[in-house]
Amino acid sequence: MLGLPLAFTVPLALAALASLPLLYFLLRITPPRPRRIPFPPLRLILDLEARDETPAHTPWWLLALRLTIAALIIFAMAGPIWNPLPVGEAADGALLVVLDDGWPAAANWDQRINAAAQRIEAAARRAQPVAVVATSEIGRDIVSNEAGKALERLRAIKPQPYVPDRLAMLAPIEAFVTAHPKAAILWIADGLERGHARDFATKLAGLQAHVTVVYDGRAVEALAGPENLGGGLDVRVLRSMAGTPGAGAIRALDLKGLMIGEAPFSFDAQAMETKASFDLPVELRNDIARLDIVGAQSAGAVSLLDERWKRRRVGVVSGETADTSLPLLAPNYYLVKALGPFADVREARPGTPDPVSALIDEHVAVMILADIGMVSGAARTNLARFVEDGGILVRFAGTRLAGAADDLVPVRLRRGGRVLGGSLSWETPKKLAPFERSSPFYGLRVPDEITVSRQVLAEPDAGLPGKTWAQLADGTPLVTAAPRGKGTIVLFHMTADTTWSNLPLSGLFVDMLRKIVALSGEPARDGGGSLQSSADGKPAKADIVAPSRTLDGFGVLGAPPPTAKPLAGSFEGIGDMEHPPGFYGPPDALVAINALAPRDTIAAADYSGLNLVNEALRSAAPIDLRPWLIAAAFLLFAADALASLWLAGGLSFARRKAVAAGLALAVLAALGAQPTPARAQGVSQRDLAAALTTRLAYVASGDAQVDEASLSGLTSLSRALAARTSLTPGEPVGIDPSRDELAFYPMLYWPIVAGRPQPNAATIAKVAAYMKQGGTIVFDTRDALAQRPGGALTPEARWLRQLLDGVDVPELEPVPADHVVTKTFYLLDGFIGRYTIGQTWIEALPPTPPEDGQRPARSGDGVSPIIITSNDLAAGWASDRSGESLYSLMPGGARQHEIALRGGVNLVMYTLTGNYKADQVHVRDLLERLAH
Amino acid sequence: MIDVTFHQRGQRGIDRHHQQGGLDLARRLPSLVVAAKEVASSVMHGVHGRRRAGIGETFWQFRPFIAGETTSRIDWRRSARDERIYVREREWEAAHTIWIWMDRSDSMGFASSLALQSKADRALVLGLAAADLLVRGGERVGLLGLTRPFAARNIVERFAESMLAAERVSGYEPEELPAGLALAARTQAILIGDFLCPPARIVTLINALSAQGARGHLVMIVDPVEETFPFSGHTEFIDVDSGATLRVGQAESFRADYLRRLAAHRDAIAEAARGRGWSLALHHTDRPASEALLGLRARLEGSLHEPFARGVA
Repeated sequence: MLGLPLAFTVPLALAALASLPLLYFLLRITPPRPRRIPFPPLRLILDLEARDETPAHTPWWLLALRLTIAALIIFAMAGPIWNPLPVGEAADGALLVVLDDGWPAAANWDQRINAAAQRIEAAARRAQPVAVVATSEIGRDIVSNEAGKALERLRAIKPQPYVPDRLAMLAPIEAFVTAHPKAAILWIADGLERGHARDFATKLAGLQAHVTVVYDGRAVEALAGPENLGGGLDVRVLRSMAGTPGAGAIRALDLKGLMIGEAPFSFDAQAMETKASFDLPVELRNDIARLDIVGAQSAGAVSLLDERWKRRRVGVVSGETADTSLPLLAPNYYLVKALGPFADVREARPGTPDPVSALIDEHVAVMILADIGMVSGAARTNLARFVEDGGILVRFAGTRLAGAADDLVPVRLRRGGRVLGGSLSWETPKKLAPFERSSPFYGLRVPDEITVSRQVLAEPDAGLPGKTWAQLADGTPLVTAAPRGKGTIVLFHMTADTTWSNLPLSGLFVDMLRKIVALSGEPARDGGGSLQSSADGKPAKADIVAPSRTLDGFGVLGAPPPTAKPLAGSFEGIGDMEHPPGFYGPPDALVAINALAPRDTIAAADYSGLNLVNEALRSAAPIDLRPWLIAAAFLLFAADALASLWLAGGLSFARRKAVAAGLALAVLAALGAQPTPARAQGVSQRDLAAALTTRLAYVASGDAQVDEASLSGLTSLSRALAARTSLTPGEPVGIDPSRDELAFYPMLYWPIVAGRPQPNAATIAKVAAYMKQGGTIVFDTRDALAQRPGGALTPEARWLRQLLDGVDVPELEPVPADHVVTKTFYLLDGFIGRYTIGQTWIEALPPTPPEDGQRPARSGDGVSPIIITSNDLAAGWASDRSGESLYSLMPGGARQHEIALRGGVNLVMYTLTGNYKADQVHVRDLLERLAH
Repeated sequence: MIDVTFHQRGQRGIDRHHQQGGLDLARRLPSLVVAAKEVASSVMHGVHGRRRAGIGETFWQFRPFIAGETTSRIDWRRSARDERIYVREREWEAAHTIWIWMDRSDSMGFASSLALQSKADRALVLGLAAADLLVRGGERVGLLGLTRPFAARNIVERFAESMLAAERVSGYEPEELPAGLALAARTQAILIGDFLCPPARIVTLINALSAQGARGHLVMIVDPVEETFPFSGHTEFIDVDSGATLRVGQAESFRADYLRRLAAHRDAIAEAARGRGWSLALHHTDRPASEALLGLRARLEGSLHEPFARGVA
């Protein structure tokens, strides 16, 4: 209405607005009550004739107020709804909600569910039967249901990590439409063409139903085709709609979910695709197991990486018998060292009968054979297939190769070799020539000090220069290479150790190997798909790998759903219902399946030209304005009543203020009734502070004098602790055990006031739990003077006994002289406070073993949860800034105050350090024992 | 908008507040000298020399001792100066009697937001203050119809007590005007009230009071609202004394009439007062009470002085 998102459920009621002018007329002539004014000199004019008895008109503002009230009520009767739902009003048959639940819908899933729920609720108000179906629910009949059930079903639908084919849903939908004439179909589409959106829409438009398509106008973003290239890890970032520039970031995570790096990406205005690149060291890149778009929540925005994207595996096989005692003479040593920084070097296990095949089974990308003359039998076949499938074979020459070579070499070799600069040769060792432009090594600097003293020589065939990657200064090839199948064979005409050349010692060797390994592409999955390598080197018959962890629609890895099926080793492609995207296989050889193929694009669906109602996905829920209007009318009505009273003079000055205050309160209450956001956290400021700083606490008794004594006593004690010990406690606090969290306080000082009510059972349980969990409570009955040995219990003692009735109190004993609490900081005889004669009770220690009688300090296993004293400790501790005791002590004296403070320090230290001091007394013995 | 409050009888009445107010007001003023100019030098105030020998404290003259008189009258100090024997005569002195009456009728409970006090409060403060001043000046003051004239330091409290006692009597109805008893000659009356009753009654009262030659002063207490009639709109006026009501549609149309009537009323009263040599003062409750008291003092001084000056002449 009028361009506003406003609609009325009962628009006829608005006709009542026509009666407003009549109301205006009526209100206008009804005057307010006259003011009554006592007026003593009235008798002077009492006899005057009333000249103008026409009452005054109702003031215009009162009139306006009343008309507003009437208008508000009329509007409320008309049932106004803000953000009304535009769908379904026409249809009075069943409502079918078709929900796209592929990964493109996951990004704003809640919004979709809300949109569907709003429609279902609206249908429930019109008592329409509702059916809900997700496009992935293939093979399910669609049954209409009451709205409540439909809502439940709706809430149970979760997005799937693949895009289902919508055409499979057509048959059940057609059946539904046939069964329910005049049905309305609401398709909440994900907006992508994937899954035959256009075809589906065309078919839907052809049905005898009112079809509405709700789709989100925003682009869907996805990741596809990550590539671990030589320079960095690249990934394609796709989006479904161009038109505006966009930007974002890609996150790289390792298998454990730890972040490795982040790479930004940005779309040009018209680009549907862009690239993000991780410029990271290869070691880090190889740890990347997952890429995702920051902030995007969908399986399509996740790319999983498995071994195929990891750094190349290089298998090294040496012809020499492994001699571990002389590692520096073995070529493997130099190769492993040189390859280590950038490749995953695999060596055959010693004693493996066919190391070459074993390594091929480990999916090496590069196979290095150091001085192996002849490869024969199965190994040769495997090696040849390995190379033809794209593997790189690097061979190093040596005496064996020089003696006899097989055909897996790039060039024909001469028998023997040549020795430069040997004792029988007049030639000097040759230096390396700079690399040719055609060589993959081009650009590497050749150091001067590299010399080659011996090499195998290639037959000077026609194609030799083209196969040469490196040559000596005199032009003889040093490194030759030839493609074979999809792979390459590279031959170093020298050994991998230092016997023929000092090249393996140089950095150039590392760089050359790096270049070669970088040439290697994806290792072949060797056809049969022996994804699992067996220990003995034989290919295992592991054609099937079970799902390990799969993505859900939101792109979160989790346990595979029951529909997930094991993956055939030959499986190539993207995730579908049976093979959801995720990791498959055992943890050491995971196979990643992604939601998008490397070359995929995502295009937005085109719904134009069809007999469909297009609608945008909105998040705003319809708001029924009725309660608000009625509330406003009520408030205005109250204002009108006040105004009428005021006009009639019914409000005296004082009362007017009270009424104004009342009105303000009422308005505040009305505002306060709005749901206010709950507190972000239930932690009080005080608990926060207590958790951050260790502090002493006392139980506030409610008796102001006692509480003041407790506070000042603990404050003095905290001061003493800060001055004398390494503990700097915070400001002491008084706590209420029924309300406050106790866990933050190592020691609670609880002065007993007999007159106070007992805490309730829940509080006592809390106190008991506190004691059990390691807290210490110092109960102070403060009645040492009133106690009589053998006499009746003092009221405080009775109170305490009643309190501890429900608490598991350990056996107590008067603090023995050798108890650790008397030694934790000062050496003390007892704990005194304001009085000195009271006994202090503490958890009884286990009996001393007879052989251990000489120990100066004993302690139990933990800290006594309870200490009971009657000496009024807090009053004994309390002092002013200058250390003068605040309370008169008995018998008195600065010494008593000092001893009381020391007792307090010991107590706090005891609660904080436990039996540490009891062990500490042995230090001297231990040192003496060590000295001997 | 002007607010109007009306104090019911229970809220009014005399209380410590009024006593204190009266005392305060009296103390703010210099000692009131209500004395004839001729005797101004002898007494500050109150006891006025009669210009003849009599009972008094001030020396008048020495005259020769007449045989037969009591010897105690002989002024031995003077007699010692020559051979004759003198008697010391003192001037005959007498205090004035002043009667005060304060209107406590219902209509006095009126106070508007413009006023500082209700009219009743103002009347009580003014009356008690005048009593205190006069007593401190040496006059004897009586509450008309309630007490005999007397001079006591605690005159304010005494007046207050007697008024309270009168109010406590069951069936007490405050009167709009005092009973019209003839006052003795040379006494004075101070009547404080709003004098809204018909002028004829006031004329009768003044005539009755001054039948034996007493003089008097009327202090008419007026609320500023009564003076200006600032009402408008649909209003119902209530007469507080009689309970009569007047409902008017347009109160502002009555203003001119009201003001005319009011002026006529005042003129009538002023005429009645002038006819017997009484004075009439108008006092608004939005003005300080001391202003009215000063005016009252001035007129008291004048009228105290006047008859004697005339009498001697």
